[in-house]
Amino acid sequence: MKHLLLLCVFAILVSSCSNSSSNTKTITIAGSSTVLPIISNAAELYKETHPDIKIIVNAGGSGVGVNQVGSQKVNIGMISRDITSKEKGLYPSILFKTQAIGKDAVIPAISSEIYDAGITTLTLEQIAKIYKGEITNWSALQGPNKDILVIDKEKSRGTRHVFMATVMNNKEADAPGADLVLGSNNEEQTALVQSDAAIGMLSMAWLNNDVKGTSIQTPNGEPVAPTLSNIIEGKFPITRDLTIVTNGNPTGEVKNFIDFLLSPQGQSIVTDNGYVSIK
Amino acid sequence: MSVLNNKIGKGYVLLSTYICVAVTLLIFIVLFSNSYDALHQVGLNLFTLEWNPSSNKFGVLSMLYGTITVTFIALIIATPLGISAAIFTSQMTSSKGRILIKSTLELLASIPSIIYGLIGIAFFSTWVASIFDLSTGRTLFTAGILLSFMILPTIITLCDDALHNIPKHYSEASKGLGMYPYEIIKNVLLPIASRDIAGAILLALGRALGETMAVMLLIGSIDKIPDPFYNILSPGQTITSKLGREIGESAFGSLHFSALNTIGCLLMVLVIIITITTQVHFKKERLYE
Repeated sequence: MKHLLLLCVFAILVSSCSNSSSNTKTITIAGSSTVLPIISNAAELYKETHPDIKIIVNAGGSGVGVNQVGSQKVNIGMISRDITSKEKGLYPSILFKTQAIGKDAVIPAISSEIYDAGITTLTLEQIAKIYKGEITNWSALQGPNKDILVIDKEKSRGTRHVFMATVMNNKEADAPGADLVLGSNNEEQTALVQSDAAIGMLSMAWLNNDVKGTSIQTPNGEPVAPTLSNIIEGKFPITRDLTIVTNGNPTGEVKNFIDFLLSPQGQSIVTDNGYVSIK
Repeated sequence: MSVLNNKIGKGYVLLSTYICVAVTLLIFIVLFSNSYDALHQVGLNLFTLEWNPSSNKFGVLSMLYGTITVTFIALIIATPLGISAAIFTSQMTSSKGRILIKSTLELLASIPSIIYGLIGIAFFSTWVASIFDLSTGRTLFTAGILLSFMILPTIITLCDDALHNIPKHYSEASKGLGMYPYEIIKNVLLPIASRDIAGAILLALGRALGETMAVMLLIGSIDKIPDPFYNILSPGQTITSKLGREIGESAFGSLHFSALNTIGCLLMVLVIIITITTQVHFKKERLYE
């Protein structure tokens, strides 16, 4: 009798599980932590009007986004850089289809103590030297006498690709001067706040009072501040598209969600998060 | 009915055992087979310093160094603390107090490692940075200290059991000879329990080697051996933190993925050696059995 009862409970459980999954559709998304805030806000809004859709969003970095789409583990990958030819070669059967949903700048960010001490502008060459380990103390840049804590990022992160492509002319350049290697923007931001002599690379949405973005001095001598207008006008040298990637052209619910991202409402989420909309 | 029950029961038990064994073997096979590419193509260059997947350089020395260093720091701190605490709980408190203290300490073991990592990154690393006047608190030393807290419950619980299980007549006979408690513990109980204590430390060592989350957040994750090499107040990398950071972004089937499998293998071999040593060497007959 007891067994029968257990069996019944089990049967009900199983049937209720399969019921719920047949009624709601699930969209799975993973990838860049830079794109993540846009997508997760959009997913929340989208679910309000589409209660039958379940959207699961995970971070992990652009590399993870490409790999998960490549191995068909998620419907949508979030990336904040181009897909490398190496990555395309690894998944010959996948037709990577990208769609830009916003624009972002990668900004050399420094601890507020250093910024307040007078270092507000750096040239690309100076940044490159810091990451190569040729400049190791802020005093070499007329700053305070403190060793520079150079914060690098994991090699496949989109932010790093874009940053290194502009600064070192090679998106996968080594950074022998690095002291720490961190992952997401949040982690990088925390390390910058906790230190009083650090430099790192951050997406523009993560700058705040404790983490200041430096202006970049262009070759003709004019410093370009990391402001929204400079980025929209294309003056700031390190910018990139925020992209989502699918396997082939999106269809069904996935397409609806992407259309929502591109709609005026979706694009206002992009600007609300501190990025630049594409329209 | 009972015959049938018997058969079903036997089948179920057997099946469970086979599944457990199969899973273990599967992990072995998957790790080894996926390591093949890296072992074949990188070979002895695995034992170099540079790791850069985009130029196919996979040197694991800095990670091995970090793993061994962090584990060593953790054991240096946790062993004396753990044994002292175990002496206290097993010899100097009432049985009620012992249970109370032990269960509190065992709570330490049930805290998820990500919570240790969180506390470590929010408070601990900043303390280390300000005490030693460092530019960053994410160091081998910080990770080692945090790890020592995490393995402490293992050492305390097992050492306490070892000391507590020694039959009363040893300490009573020693008391009868007029020995002080200090002498009883030092000359009688600790030598008798030494095998079990060593076993406890090795078990804790195994846990320390495999710990990922907290270490990954705290260690700085840079593939460098500090200069000079004993400067533990600088960032580093362990095998587990490397795996945690990179396994998600390496494409399945690539050389990068294979190299990560290889360092996973390396770690597993280390742990297996320790486990076997524990089993063979420290589980022999006890003096009092």
